[in-house]
Amino acid sequence: MRKHFTLLCVLLVAFPMLAAVHQPGFGDRRYSVTGMLEYSYNKTWGHHGNMDIQALMPINPHFEMEAKVQLSTANVYTGVVQLRPKFQVPVGELFIETDVLYKAVARNRLGDMTAALGVGYRMDYVSVTLGLFCRVLDNWDRSIHTDETYVVEPFNLLYRLEVFCRPQNNPWNLSFMFSNVDDYQMERMWQPLFSIGAWYDVADHWRLNFWAQCKPTGMFHLDATFYGATFRTGFTYKF
Amino acid sequence: MKKIIYWAVALALVACSEDSTLDMKGMFSPQGETVNTRFEQSKAHNDSVGEIHLDMLSDEYSIYVCSDSHITRKTHKNLDYFIAQYLAAHIPKMALHLGDLIDAQKNYPCADSILHQPGIAVNHQPTLLHPFPLFITPGNHDIYFKQWPIYREAFQTSVYWFDTKNGTKKLDLFICLDSAEGELGDQQTAWLKKLLEAKSKEGYRHIIVFTHTHLWKLDGSQGHTSNYAMEATYELTSLLSQYGVEYVWSGHQHARQSVTFKGVQYIVLNATKDSEKGQSYMKVGMGDGISYQFIDYPNE
Repeated sequence: MRKHFTLLCVLLVAFPMLAAVHQPGFGDRRYSVTGMLEYSYNKTWGHHGNMDIQALMPINPHFEMEAKVQLSTANVYTGVVQLRPKFQVPVGELFIETDVLYKAVARNRLGDMTAALGVGYRMDYVSVTLGLFCRVLDNWDRSIHTDETYVVEPFNLLYRLEVFCRPQNNPWNLSFMFSNVDDYQMERMWQPLFSIGAWYDVADHWRLNFWAQCKPTGMFHLDATFYGATFRTGFTYKF
Repeated sequence: MKKIIYWAVALALVACSEDSTLDMKGMFSPQGETVNTRFEQSKAHNDSVGEIHLDMLSDEYSIYVCSDSHITRKTHKNLDYFIAQYLAAHIPKMALHLGDLIDAQKNYPCADSILHQPGIAVNHQPTLLHPFPLFITPGNHDIYFKQWPIYREAFQTSVYWFDTKNGTKKLDLFICLDSAEGELGDQQTAWLKKLLEAKSKEGYRHIIVFTHTHLWKLDGSQGHTSNYAMEATYELTSLLSQYGVEYVWSGHQHARQSVTFKGVQYIVLNATKDSEKGQSYMKVGMGDGISYQFIDYPNE
């Protein structure tokens, strides 16, 4: 686990230092740093707050990278690294999504590591990603003197469909997302998440973000009930 | 174009029919009582009938465990076989059904006639007058389409605990959780924590939890079944480990599986559904240790 944290720290410190060059990508994606605050509630953890830091690094027109960290008052800490090779096509952009997400669930003394590989396509108004991810859960108190090992969930489906009201390079936008993953979690395939996002460019370098999510359970038990919700807001500084 | 419209209309009609297993309304809103309501009603029943203490008359006894029988009015051979094997065994014993007793609505009368045979006591306060105790936990098929009132009438409770003893000697603790909609809810989780806190100090030989929905998604056999939210998975597995639960028995995915996490062994059973081949039930030997074997249903 210490190795994972070291790797994440190196990535988080090293890559924002490259953020000096303005490189417009799809939807005018520039080097940027985002800070956000969240209020969140779910039936298991109750009311809690989160602090998010994200760095977007469009290193060249064919490759971008994101690093994200979330610190939660629920005593859960999440780090994410995303590598995204991308290819312009006559209409829109194809990309390959490779994600590694580590959630240190300190309250339960366990680690949840997921690695995802997906293929995506985005246009002005729509972004679609489909892929697979693998999950490894590790007990922090696992004794080497027992037969117990990691719990591995090797194949989970990853899906994300996001629809935008305006083109993605518009100074404001509103989006609706249906997925089983978001910036800081990868849920199993039958556990969908419903999200609404919005942004407004208040100045050339500054963007104001809003984001809300509803998480039901039991949808595929044909008896859906509300499980949790998250509201997030913060600023992005675009270099 | 006409075909598309025809199929769209047909699907919409089927999807909204209460007679159909394809009713999709439940994907977006609860179609009956939620898990918190079922918990409150179960707790009220449990308080009214008192605690269940099964005297096994021996330190060693057997448990017959099956899951996902999905019976219909037309077919229930495997469940009949399971009950017959259970009734025929001349040893101290009890039986558990891990949910999805029926396949869809209107099958409870059939389930009643199978489970309420002379001598069998289902979720009642068992005494020596009932030599064949059987305990059941609800699955998603048992309660959706607003079937909880029928389930409740037949089995009274969905969340409860009982223990086994030999005379005055305390043996094992069993806890039944209602996970029929893929979550336990805040009230049931709080009840479970309080119960485990108290009971883990009472010197039980083994603590076993049984419920319908499995906790892990270990392989492709679980393509069609959903689990708990990840937050609930973290919390529940840690809670069970913290208070010395040894086994969690569940069903739901129709494929056998076993994994150990944080010292708790999670066993998922095959189905008892007639239309699926190669299925089995589990026979558990309870003593100072726990042994178990899977017994195949005869395929015809």
